[in-house]
Amino acid sequence: MSFESIKNISLYIIQRIVLTIIALVVLSFITFSLSYIVPGDAALVAAGPSAGKEKIEQLRVEMGLNLPFYEQYFVYLTKLSRGDLGKSWFTHQPILNDIKDLLPASAELVFFAMLFNIIIAIPLGVLAATKRDSKTDFSIRILVMIGAGIPIFWLGLLLQHFLASETGLFPIAGRLSFSNRNFEGSTGFLFFDSVVQGEWGVFWDSIWHIILPAFTLSVLFIAVITRTTRSTLMRALEEDFITLARSKGISEYRVIIKHALRNALVPTVTILGMQVGWMMGATVLVEEIFGRPGIGKYAVKAVTQSDIHGVVGVVLIVGIIFIFSNLIVDIVHLFLNPRLRKNSIGNL
Amino acid sequence: MKKLLLLLFVFYSTSIFAGTRGTLYIAENETPENLDPANATNSTVDQLLVGVYDALVQFTAGETTVSPRIAKSWSVSEGGKKYTFNLRSDVRFHDGSKLTAEDVKFTLDRLVAAKGNTMNDLAFYKGAEVVDDYTINLLLSAPFGPFISGLSRIYIMNKDLVKPNLGDDNGRSWLAVNEAGSGPYKVTKYKPTEEVVLEAFEGYWNGWSGNHVSKVVFVYISEPSTQLALLKSGDVHIAPDLTVDDKVDLKGNSDFKVDIGAAATPLYFQLNTQGKKLMQNSLFRKALVMAFDRELHLNQVLRGFGNMPDGPLPSNWPGHKKGTEAGFDLSSAKKIINENGWAGTRLLVRYLPAIEEEKRAVEQFQSNLKKIGITLDTEGMTWPSQAATVQKLETTSDINMIYNFPSFPDPHAILNTSFNGKLTGYNGGYNWAQYSSGKVDALLDQAASSSDQNQRAKLYSKVQQMVGNDHVVITVSNPGSVVVMSNKVVGYKYNVAHHQTFNYMDIGLK
Repeated sequence: MSFESIKNISLYIIQRIVLTIIALVVLSFITFSLSYIVPGDAALVAAGPSAGKEKIEQLRVEMGLNLPFYEQYFVYLTKLSRGDLGKSWFTHQPILNDIKDLLPASAELVFFAMLFNIIIAIPLGVLAATKRDSKTDFSIRILVMIGAGIPIFWLGLLLQHFLASETGLFPIAGRLSFSNRNFEGSTGFLFFDSVVQGEWGVFWDSIWHIILPAFTLSVLFIAVITRTTRSTLMRALEEDFITLARSKGISEYRVIIKHALRNALVPTVTILGMQVGWMMGATVLVEEIFGRPGIGKYAVKAVTQSDIHGVVGVVLIVGIIFIFSNLIVDIVHLFLNPRLRKNSIGNL
Repeated sequence: MKKLLLLLFVFYSTSIFAGTRGTLYIAENETPENLDPANATNSTVDQLLVGVYDALVQFTAGETTVSPRIAKSWSVSEGGKKYTFNLRSDVRFHDGSKLTAEDVKFTLDRLVAAKGNTMNDLAFYKGAEVVDDYTINLLLSAPFGPFISGLSRIYIMNKDLVKPNLGDDNGRSWLAVNEAGSGPYKVTKYKPTEEVVLEAFEGYWNGWSGNHVSKVVFVYISEPSTQLALLKSGDVHIAPDLTVDDKVDLKGNSDFKVDIGAAATPLYFQLNTQGKKLMQNSLFRKALVMAFDRELHLNQVLRGFGNMPDGPLPSNWPGHKKGTEAGFDLSSAKKIINENGWAGTRLLVRYLPAIEEEKRAVEQFQSNLKKIGITLDTEGMTWPSQAATVQKLETTSDINMIYNFPSFPDPHAILNTSFNGKLTGYNGGYNWAQYSSGKVDALLDQAASSSDQNQRAKLYSKVQQMVGNDHVVITVSNPGSVVVMSNKVVGYKYNVAHHQTFNYMDIGLK
């Protein structure tokens, strides 16, 4: 790689990071504003039944809700710059602690859903594109339509009923069996912590518990990636360089995988990056059905209690994940597409 | 030496012991806010703490009268402003230290400083005086009849354990995730979005005779179908949050028991008495009251799981007066509307669509009102949003739906909350009808300050009659507390003073 390329890439990454920080500040402002505008009175909820006006007003002052919006936001932003997301008015714990406890469970779910997504969707997309207009292609397209149209909630209930309740092939709910729930890990990622500690029973138990929820979460996303891979690969297969490669006598396998798929993957990777954030947002439904803890559930409770710090904290964390996964995608693009490395700044 | 004995006690009490066996798994749809006894008005908190802490007095499951707990006995001064409690001397906290009058005083002082929700029902409480280790005086600024009942939700905490952890928030942060109780169970794991584990405390002062479980695990599962699947597979023993249809289905299944507790959590349509001009007219409100069919609601929505309401107070409560609320009579309602030229009126109701019962009640009401020429617009909201709208008269809708969850089984807990003019929505209370009647307020205050139960009952009867004449609310239902459990569970009883909790300390497994 030339010096010019390295300089371009570095500048590109720095610019993306600066944009990321600006995006996060804007995101925090929008979320804080929304929480402020949405009707609801946390002081009233916190005060409990038969509290009386005086007590509610006292609590409002203690919670800082009597301050004008800009002051509340400024106080929040000042704390945020120190990495303090504030305290929940209801759990009375720092939001960061609450999220730290719950994020690994959601992230683990998203990780496995993404794994299913990549393992299933890309081969299906390749198969459909290479067997264009065949019965195989037709069948895959039908499956994609079903996958894209089926509501996550309903699919989860169906899978839980037939594969867990009726047949007992998978557990009904939770992250671990009750017998393993005393397991404590340092990161909160059960499959990782259990391997580190050599607790293979816990490892397999956690995998067994995550298969149904992760598959449920992935189905919609599999449909999108299958369709994208199919269409981009079909376009790539019609390009001149593919005709050239074939005329050179390169095997069809190498033509598809090494030449066509590599080019076709650029939009797929972009969508995969965005899907990480979308999946994070969709975890709440899967967590509800499969009784798994996670930040989705936490966010719902925070919204219903008007716990502004809780809501903003979750949105901010999901936003950070979304923005950083896109940053990583942009960087991966640089390696997938050499043309971007030549003039990266212009592609911002 | 004292420390050594304490250490030995703690070691002994944490070792496995005979007298309890098995683990009781309870599914629960809503996660607890925290473990702080200050928040024990919230059932998700109370259901954990009811067996972790002790109070001076108690309502045991299945009973509607208060009985001694930590307090062996008590007396009331002549003017009703001083209560003297004699405490048991054999109660120990989970760390082995003894519970004394100092702990009681500390608990109350801390609740006042922390503005604990449990103090909302003890408005006249002024302070505490420790007489000796096992005697304490509680002082009131005015006589308050239900004072003893209100104390049943004041959980006594270990002063020596909590005081060093008060911090700058009156111990809110520490007590949110730690306990300092003396009850039969102690909290050994607190993961509020996943599970909470309680384990039997061997040093429990009341002993462990009979069938009790060693461990109680609350598992947080919000989806009713998942709760049902776990109940059927035997993974949980108690599942309270199933759909009404599933509860009906399981009623005839011998593997399960369906308990219908006589709950006292009436659901109301509160009619805004200070709203638009027409809503201020009691005849118009009477027509509205007559347009709701409570029997249909009980049969079709609750599928029989409840009691037919007869006025705002549950009919088995002391002081209940029959026939105070106008009954369902659509033709008379229509006559009133037509005779006065009120047809074509538009009204707005606010409710919580997440609660199926409220949604279905609104649908019936809307349909019936249409038949008498009134259009009912509906606005579904979340609880904080709805509660915020009633804080000002100008934003209070014509009708609001709200349940009343009394903290203890006393008419005061329902009638005062819903009808006292000092507790209107704009005064921060749950009187969302914004109803203000000097006569009713005077009767309620008089009843609250009396300790003569017969006199109180008469006063509350009068209140119901006056509220009924003013057509302030429509009592939609008295839903039963329906809990489905495995037939292995023995000893479950509904506790009307601790709604949506489980008497896990009395439960054993077959």
